[in-house]
Amino acid sequence: MDGRLLLSVDIGSTYTKAGVFRLEGEELRLLGKAVRPTTVDDLGRGFAEARTAALAVPGLPPAVDPAAVPVYWSSSARGGLKIAAVGLTPDLTLSVARMAATSAGGKVVRAFSYELAADDIAELAAVAPDIILLTGGTDGGNSRVVLHNAARLAETRLPAVILYAGNRKVRDDVAALLAGRDLVTAANVMPEVGVIDIEPARDVIRRAFLESIVDGKGLSGVVAAAGGREPLPTPLAVFELVRRIGERVPGWEDFALIDMGGATTDFYSHTESFYGGDTILLRGLREPKLKRTVEGDLGLRVSAEALVRSESAFFESRLGPDTPDLLGLRAYVESVSRTTDHLPADDRGRRYDALLAAACVRASALRHAGTVQRVFTPQGGFEVQRGKDLGRIKALVGSGGYLAGLADAALLLEACAPDAADPDVRHLVPNAPACYADAEYLIPLLGNLAADFPDAAARAAVAGFKPLNAPTNRN
Amino acid sequence: MDAPRIVLGVIGADCHSVGNKILDAFFTEAGFHVVNLGVMVSQDEFLDAAVESDAAAILVSSLYGHGLIDCEGLRQKAVERGLERVLLYAGGNLVVGKTPFEEVERKFKAMGFDRVFPPQVDLADVAAMLREDIEARRN
Repeated sequence: MDGRLLLSVDIGSTYTKAGVFRLEGEELRLLGKAVRPTTVDDLGRGFAEARTAALAVPGLPPAVDPAAVPVYWSSSARGGLKIAAVGLTPDLTLSVARMAATSAGGKVVRAFSYELAADDIAELAAVAPDIILLTGGTDGGNSRVVLHNAARLAETRLPAVILYAGNRKVRDDVAALLAGRDLVTAANVMPEVGVIDIEPARDVIRRAFLESIVDGKGLSGVVAAAGGREPLPTPLAVFELVRRIGERVPGWEDFALIDMGGATTDFYSHTESFYGGDTILLRGLREPKLKRTVEGDLGLRVSAEALVRSESAFFESRLGPDTPDLLGLRAYVESVSRTTDHLPADDRGRRYDALLAAACVRASALRHAGTVQRVFTPQGGFEVQRGKDLGRIKALVGSGGYLAGLADAALLLEACAPDAADPDVRHLVPNAPACYADAEYLIPLLGNLAADFPDAAARAAVAGFKPLNAPTNRN
Repeated sequence: MDAPRIVLGVIGADCHSVGNKILDAFFTEAGFHVVNLGVMVSQDEFLDAAVESDAAAILVSSLYGHGLIDCEGLRQKAVERGLERVLLYAGGNLVVGKTPFEEVERKFKAMGFDRVFPPQVDLADVAAMLREDIEARRN
């Protein structure tokens, strides 16, 4: 059967994955894929190897000219897209700036509120973000702090792109202070208190990635090899695919995806954040329907030691405090966080990996989800919601090396475990969703195709998810 | 000159929303830029909103009689947050029981509120005072 061939490639920090798809009418069909180690010194080499291998699959016409197959690609190599977020108050503009950064596929490497101090600038220089997202003040609101921060940034020549998305009233003054710098501007991320407008900033971040950052990530050689087509940051490709699935696949309006790797765990949700009602009130920002959070301390390898520290209560509850098993876990973690491509050789290692994965799933869900607190007022009992309600999530998908290989739903259902620390606070985690594994690891690859083929990519992704059965009782 | 920005809300665990909507409509009509936070607003939420929007005044409503405890410390917190010059107004059924209004007013002024209003008040008068106070604070 005839149909256009399309190649999709994702350059990860460890592996470069490639998939060949054929567009058959309105459907995308996977013909073959290949995985090659990412060649950090020259990303183009691993890219070319993966492309050649993917195109060498049976069923393709023997003389396919690789150069004639359009390439769609994404990259998270060399640390991905690193963003430093600067806001005014932690709960308002800084919180929205974080949202804009993660929604654009970035990782928030540092966050600052109020006035930047000399120490903060030194810290910024040390973490070397690709983008500094400078926000603060509603339109017409506070301008003193953001002007101070722009002046601070002007004192030191940092190699980052500066994106100003704060108080519109002083945009020209900020531009004057930062004249000669790599400055781009977007509409204020919070034009009014409580009003979130992150799409313009997201768009500018995406363009800045293409125009200014691709070179620094060693990707310009790949751009040439890919016929001039420019990449997306991998999480942005995933974000856009999640959007398309939620908008276009019937029955998938309310779903979540967990992408867990060695260094980070990403949680994506597509569902209304607040449903309202007579006795429930939303406090704080109304979060967007499509939301991504990324947790830099939740990962199976590079971040495993941070994970064991930040989720110590979880591990103690599962293994008991100061048991030999807990000590064994610590020793295991110490070893795998250094040999990041380690695969467990025995049952003990596999059991520890499962426990680390459970902690990542659980913590990433709890941090992504909002809470409901019961309050008693003179007018009766009320519930106060903060953050996003994931209670209507009907499907939960696991992606990334470990979760893609799941055999049943037990581990993903850790995302639904209530946190019993405080009986008056309920976490709005998913409630008994159907679970799936991205068994073919198609998520980033189809994400790359989602801009040009939104319906086909979304349907192919859902068709490729492997349903996971409820866990069988193992006792 | 931009419209003066004011932050509006009902403090504490108070869910009375009708008066809040009336105030929002009235002050907007009167030419103020209203940042309305609605009901059940905490002190920090008032202050965050005032910082971000560079508000000239915070108008705190309380209808359920617990206003005194809910408003305690708001002025100090405002000063700590760099809002030394923000005007603080309070109004409504601020205290349970039959405390004379003069007594209520004295207590709230002692806590650093600039003006205090009983449940019945002509909003046109309040708007006029607010304009004068904002003007005086600017100079």
